[in-house]
Amino acid sequence: MPRALVLNESDNVATLIDTGKAGDACALQGEAKGTVKLLADVPFGHKVCIKDTSEGQEIVKYGTIIGKASAAIRSGAHVHIHNVESVRGRGDQAGTSK
Amino acid sequence: MSATFLGYPRKNGSIGVRNWVGVLSIMDNCNPITRAICNAVEGTIPITTLFVRGQYGRDLEITYNSLAGMGANPNIASVLLIGLEEMTTEEVARRIRPTGKRIEVIHLQPDGTINAVANGTRKAMRLAIEASGLRRQSCPASSLVIGVECGGSDTTSGLSCNPAIGRMADRLVDDGGTIIISETSEFFGAEHLFAARAIDDKVRKEFVDKVVGFEQDAMKMGLDIRGTNPTPDNIRGGLTTIEEKALGAMAKAGTRPLVGVLDYGEPPVRKGMHFMATPAPAVESMTAFAAGGCQLIFFGTGVGNPIGNMVSPTVKVSGNVNTLRTMPDNIDVDVSELIEKGSKVPDVGDRLYDYTMEVASGTRTTSEVLDNRETAISRFGPTI
Repeated sequence: MPRALVLNESDNVATLIDTGKAGDACALQGEAKGTVKLLADVPFGHKVCIKDTSEGQEIVKYGTIIGKASAAIRSGAHVHIHNVESVRGRGDQAGTSK
Repeated sequence: MSATFLGYPRKNGSIGVRNWVGVLSIMDNCNPITRAICNAVEGTIPITTLFVRGQYGRDLEITYNSLAGMGANPNIASVLLIGLEEMTTEEVARRIRPTGKRIEVIHLQPDGTINAVANGTRKAMRLAIEASGLRRQSCPASSLVIGVECGGSDTTSGLSCNPAIGRMADRLVDDGGTIIISETSEFFGAEHLFAARAIDDKVRKEFVDKVVGFEQDAMKMGLDIRGTNPTPDNIRGGLTTIEEKALGAMAKAGTRPLVGVLDYGEPPVRKGMHFMATPAPAVESMTAFAAGGCQLIFFGTGVGNPIGNMVSPTVKVSGNVNTLRTMPDNIDVDVSELIEKGSKVPDVGDRLYDYTMEVASGTRTTSEVLDNRETAISRFGPTI
């Protein structure tokens, strides 16, 4: 069973410390317990969503905002650049609404 | 009891952890001579630069200060300056002179490169023999200035190597030493947490101004920095945003108060934990550490970045089991037990601090032994 670390109880993502395959039950460690069923393959070191998150909602790791969801993300989904946006250093968005 | 190590006391009161003769290029066109002399003389290291000619204003000033800072670094016993002509060489020489260390000079004009290599080799040989007469003595950890860096970061960096380095940093500060963290853009998203550690409002404002100013400069380009920072290897390692990377990166500065903010390559004047404003790429950032007087650098890596600094021996620390399997020759300290076995950061960090004193006393690092080292002074303006 792949393991994933939760760093703060307010986090909505956990970090895989093993390689995860779609369908695996992933064991949560750290600041959360239980399991989450992976909806997709999640490589070592990548993040899995542990709380359903709607588009535009903040992504929280270390108890701190690391970006916002650019699409709805279900618990168990791979969380990465395809569904999370940085809100910093975005010169491409300067002058437009955030 | 405070830690001690065996180091080389210098005339200005600083302590070297190495005892090299520094052969230093005053400008880019001198590098071939510098390298030829270093190939011929054991005990020397080349300190090179890719520019100087055509630089001006603040950009040239930072370059001169950085070159001289590397020559003045306590790890350098004496220096041989390789210049094109006398005026520019004197700009660097006069900045090193206050250290009291011996300075020899070779010029390419008017005698040409073959004579410059021959005369430089003779001078470097004499300096190397003289330096070898120095002996290590017991020195307090408070004399150490250590740069903390990360590169080839991934999500294991923020969970293992960076917190372990942070514990080492806290131990050194508690023993009266000095820590410098750099890489301005790697505070985007974490600056509020770091700013809260400033000892007063002045230091807090200096820090925030550096980070906000740097982000505004980047924003003026009209670009999205994603793909540049986080880098493609960061993203492959699971880091999604600069904010996520910043939170992991900050862990390597430990938990002690921020006492000072430094410009690129500027030496700290007080003890404690400092921030130095540098670009994020490791070679440029570590060059600034060496110029600022760091005797050692601790470098956390996730997916694996093997490069070290020429003047400041660089200790590579990783907690990524895959990297430790595929790139073991490039890692000095394995801290994967933090993730794999649930070991505690203070325990692992304390062992890292013990190892700090070993490296400061002469134990060599992988990048030193493999000569996997490079120098690059950052540019802050165009050449004309």
